[in-house]
Formats: sequence, structure tokens, C-alpha cells
Amino acid sequence: MMAGRTFGTKLAAGFGLTLALTLLMSLTSVAALRYVLHTKDAVIESARVNLVGAESLSALMESRIGDYRGYLLTGTDEYLNATNTDRAKFLAQLDSLRGTIENPTSKELLEQISAAEATHAGIVSGLMAQRAKINDLRSVAQLTGSDQVKTARLAVQKAIADLITQVQATVNAKSDDSSTRAMWAMTFIIVIGVFLIACAAGVAWKLSRDLKREVGAAVGHIQSSSAQLEAAAAQQAAGGRDQASAMSEITTTISELLITSRQISESAQRVSKVAEETAEAARTGDATIDQTRASIAAIRTQVDQIVQHMLALGEKSQQIGGVVDLVSELAEQTNILAINATIEASGAGEWGRRFAVVAEEIRKLADRTAASAKEIRALIDDVRGAVNTTVMATEIGAKAVDSGSRQFDDATSSFRRIVGLVSTTSDATREIELSTKQQTTAVEQVNVAASDTARVTRETEASAVQTKQTAAHLTTLSSELLDLVGTGRH
Amino acid sequence: MSTVVSRLAELREDFDRSFADPVRSHDNEHVELLSIRAGGRPYAIRLSQTSGLHPDRPVTPLPGPQPALLGLVGFAGQVVPVYDLAAILGHPVAERPRWLVLAGGSPPLGLAFHELDGHVRVANADIVQEGGDSGAAGSIRGMVALPGGVRPIVDVFATRTTVHALTGHAQDTDEEAAR
Repeated sequence: MMAGRTFGTKLAAGFGLTLALTLLMSLTSVAALRYVLHTKDAVIESARVNLVGAESLSALMESRIGDYRGYLLTGTDEYLNATNTDRAKFLAQLDSLRGTIENPTSKELLEQISAAEATHAGIVSGLMAQRAKINDLRSVAQLTGSDQVKTARLAVQKAIADLITQVQATVNAKSDDSSTRAMWAMTFIIVIGVFLIACAAGVAWKLSRDLKREVGAAVGHIQSSSAQLEAAAAQQAAGGRDQASAMSEITTTISELLITSRQISESAQRVSKVAEETAEAARTGDATIDQTRASIAAIRTQVDQIVQHMLALGEKSQQIGGVVDLVSELAEQTNILAINATIEASGAGEWGRRFAVVAEEIRKLADRTAASAKEIRALIDDVRGAVNTTVMATEIGAKAVDSGSRQFDDATSSFRRIVGLVSTTSDATREIELSTKQQTTAVEQVNVAASDTARVTRETEASAVQTKQTAAHLTTLSSELLDLVGTGRH
Repeated sequence: MSTVVSRLAELREDFDRSFADPVRSHDNEHVELLSIRAGGRPYAIRLSQTSGLHPDRPVTPLPGPQPALLGLVGFAGQVVPVYDLAAILGHPVAERPRWLVLAGGSPPLGLAFHELDGHVRVANADIVQEGGDSGAAGSIRGMVALPGGVRPIVDVFATRTTVHALTGHAQDTDEEAAR
């Protein structure tokens, strides 16, 4: 029924139950006491009123008897009044007893007393009327009815004594009844008390059992958890020490990194300066390239002109060759004519012989002309060969110039690309410089952060050691608590 | 350039001296020779045995069994047979001869050869004449020493005889008479 409730709820429920039982027992005891008190009060009231009233009746009767005897003796009004007063008191007391007495036997006795007293009073008043008539009493004998008085008086006294006896008996009976009721009440209270003690013991046993079971289990858990916590704290402390050493190494490395980063920054500055100088040199080289390009174009034009002139020269020399061929042909024909003239002259006698001499001279001239033409032809061939060689060389040169121009264009484009790359490199170097500075700043911040982390790690290690000690203390406390709870686990 | 000028001066001097020299005539101590090449070999021909020298004459081919007979050429109203001198001398070549020399005497005969080296005048002492003249066979009659080497001398009349022998004609007496 109480499963799943907290131990505080159980404890509160147990104490509540015990409190309710205690309250019930208290109320029951109060009720029993009130009942006993009421019965005892009734006994005491009966004893106090009825018995005392009865005794008071007796006393008032004796006082009345004395007073009317005094009146009878003296005849004074004092005693008469006292007697009347006593009688009035007696009757009042009697009326009072009638109101309080409940026992029928006592009521009957009370009526007997009233009747006896009325009789007695009638007799006494007769006597006293006799006495009032007598001024000088010398003997009792003067009075009549003394004997009746005595009887009436004894009857009253006897009736009062009976009443007293009866009232005493009534009081005793009530007292016994009250004692019996008190005994019952006491027995009831004892039973209730025993029941309450049993219930409290049950609650205490239940609570104790739950306490042992649940608190013991919890404390056992706490103990094992404390052990685990202790182990974890030990590991954390070891890890903290390792981490502290690692952070120390990291801090050292970061310091080296900081130095390297500053060196990189300085190198980047130098590279940036060199890149700017390179860019300036590249701009100068650009102008030089334009001049060189113009020079190459001029060379190309002049080479073309040389080729044209050389080709014209070759053509002219070819024309000269044609003329020389003509001269050669003429010389050959002259030679043939001279030979034939010689042949003809040889058969013409003396004049023919002289003509033959002329013909020989002509032939010699023709031979020389042919030789000269041959030389000219050789020279022209040489010239043409030289021209061809020159043209070829010039064309090769032109091609070389073209190739050089193309290569120069390539070199120019490469140079311009280099210029662009140098500019890009310069920008990149400046970015690197800036980035390196930022990196240096960041590394410094990291260094500070690493130092803080190292300090925090040392503090963590210290707190881990503290935690370990606390966990050990907690384990000890758990053992003590288990001892206290009484599960006996050690 | 200076050599050309000097040669020019030399030429002019020779030309002028030719007019200043005393009149001279061809004597019998010298022989006029044509230095030629036939089939690539050097030869010489006596100018006195020829009646004319012509280049590049159109030759009309004549079919026949003689490989040496190149064809016929017309000269001054005469039809002249032309023979390849190199073929007659026994070393024919495929190349067509350019030059043509007309043999002196009769019957007319043209001898074709390939190149004309020139016209030379040599002393008789420079010619080595073959001993005896009756038993000689072939066309070669003697040798001559010229600048550039010794050349055999082709005898035109002997060549005619050889041609006649090739064609199967009888020996002509005119040749001997002309000689």
C-alpha cells in the first residue's frame, strides 16, 4: 500500500497514525475520566448533600430540642424564637432534601421524618402554649404531655437516624458503583493503550524495515556511487595532470609557433618588398619589350628589303648571264668562222696564208672572248650562287626573325603573364603578411587561452583531488550510515 | 679587279702589237690541229685534212645496218653522209654528237664528234709520226703533245678508208693521191 511512496511520506504516515491513535487514546481516556469523575461527583454530591443534610437534620433537631427545652425552662421569647427558627431551618432542610434525594426508600424515610416531626411539633407547640400560660414554673409537673413529647422526639430522632443510615448506605452503594465503573474505564484505557502500543510498534517495525531496506539500498548505491565517483575523480585527477602537462607542451609549442609566425611575417614583408621591386622592374621591362618589338619589326622590314634587293640582284645577274651567253655564242661562232677561214685560206696560196694569219688573230680574239665570257659566266654563277646563298640565308634570317618575333611574342606574353603573376604574387604576399600578422595575434590569444586552460586544468586537477577526498569521505559516511541503518554491510 | 684591268691592258697591247708585227705567213714547220673529244676521249685532227667545221647541223637519219652512220647532211648542194667518229674509233656512246667536220677530198664525208676543245698550232717536232705508212690499220696516225696531255691524231683519209671498209666499198685511189 505504501509502495512507491517516499520515505518521508511513510514516516509522516507512521507518525500520523501513531498520533491519531494517541489522540484516540487521549480522547478515550478523557471520556473515561470524565465518566469516572461524573460518577464520583455523583457519589460525593450524594454524600455531601444528602448525608450532610441528614446529619444537619439531626443537628437542627437537637438544637430545636435544646431551644424548646430552654423555653420550657425559662419561658423567654429568645428560646421561642430560636425554636421557631430551628423549626423553619429544619423544614427548609427537609424541603432541600426532598429535592436532592432520589432513593425511594430515603424519600419514604424523609416523609416519615416529616410526619414524625409534624407530630412532634404539634406536641411541642401544645407544651409551649402551656408554658406561656404559666408565669412561674416550679415543676415540670405543671406541664402536661411530657411523655408524649419524649415519644415524639424519639420517633423523630429515630427517623432521622434511619435516614442517615439509609443515606450512608446509598452513598456507599454509589461509591462502590463508581469504583466499579472506574475499574472498567481503567481496563478500557489499558486495553486501548496496549492496542496503541501494538500499533506504534507495528508502525515502528514497518518504518524500521522500510528504512533498513530502502535507505540501506540507497546508501549502498551511494556507497558504490561514491566508490565510482572516487575512481572517476582519481582518473580525472590523473587526466588533469596529463592534461596539465599536455597543456604545458602545447603552450611551449604555441610559443615556438608564435616565434615561427613572426619569422613568417618578417619573411612575408621581405617577400612583399621584393615583389614590389619585381613589379617595378617588370614595368620597366615592359617598356623595353615595346622598344625591342619595334626594333624587331624594323629588322623584319629591312630583311624583307634585303631579300627583295637580293632577288633583283639575282635577276640582273641572270640577265647578265644571258648577255654573256650571247657573247659566248658570238665568240664560238667567230671561232668557227676563223677556223673555217683558216681552212679555206690554207688552200688559197700565199694570200691565203696571210689571211690565215688574220683568221688566227680573229680566232685568238674569239678564244679570249670565249674565255672571258667563261670567266664572266663563272663569276655570274658565283654571284648567283652568292645571291642564292644570301637570299637563302636572308630568308632563313627572316624566318629566324619571324620565329624570334613569335618567340619574342611568346616571351612578351609570358613576361606580361609574369607581370600579372608578380602583381598577383604581390597582392597574395600582402595578404599573407596581413594573415600572418592576424595569425600571430591569434596565436598570442591562443597562447593566453592555453595558459588560462593550463591554470584551469591545474585547478580542475586540484578540485578532482578534492572530489576524490570528498568521495572517499562520502564512502566512509555511507559505511557509517549503513552501520546506523543496521544493514550490516561493510 | 686589278687582274681584269691588267689582262685588258695585255689584250690591248697584243692587239696593237699584231698590227706592229711584220707580215708573216704560215710556214711548213707548223701544223694546224683541231683538238676535239669524241666519246669522251681527246683526239686531234689535222686542219689541212678538213674542208669545214660546223656546229649543230641538222642530220637526217638514214636507216641502215651501220650504227656509225648518223644520217645525211646537206652542204652547198651536196648530200654528205655523217658518221659518228667515236663509233668508228670503236667506243660508241649514246650521246648525240654536236660538232661536224667535213673531210677534205672526195667522196664527201662528215665526221661527227662531241666536243671541240680548240684550234691549236703546233710545230712538226711535237708530232710523233708513225713509222711506215703502208701497214697501218685504223684511223689513228700519230700522236701530238699538247697542253693538257698527249692526243692521238685522227687521220681523216684513213678514217674514210675505214668507212669505206665498213660499207664494203673498194679502196679509193684518190685518198692516196691526196695524201
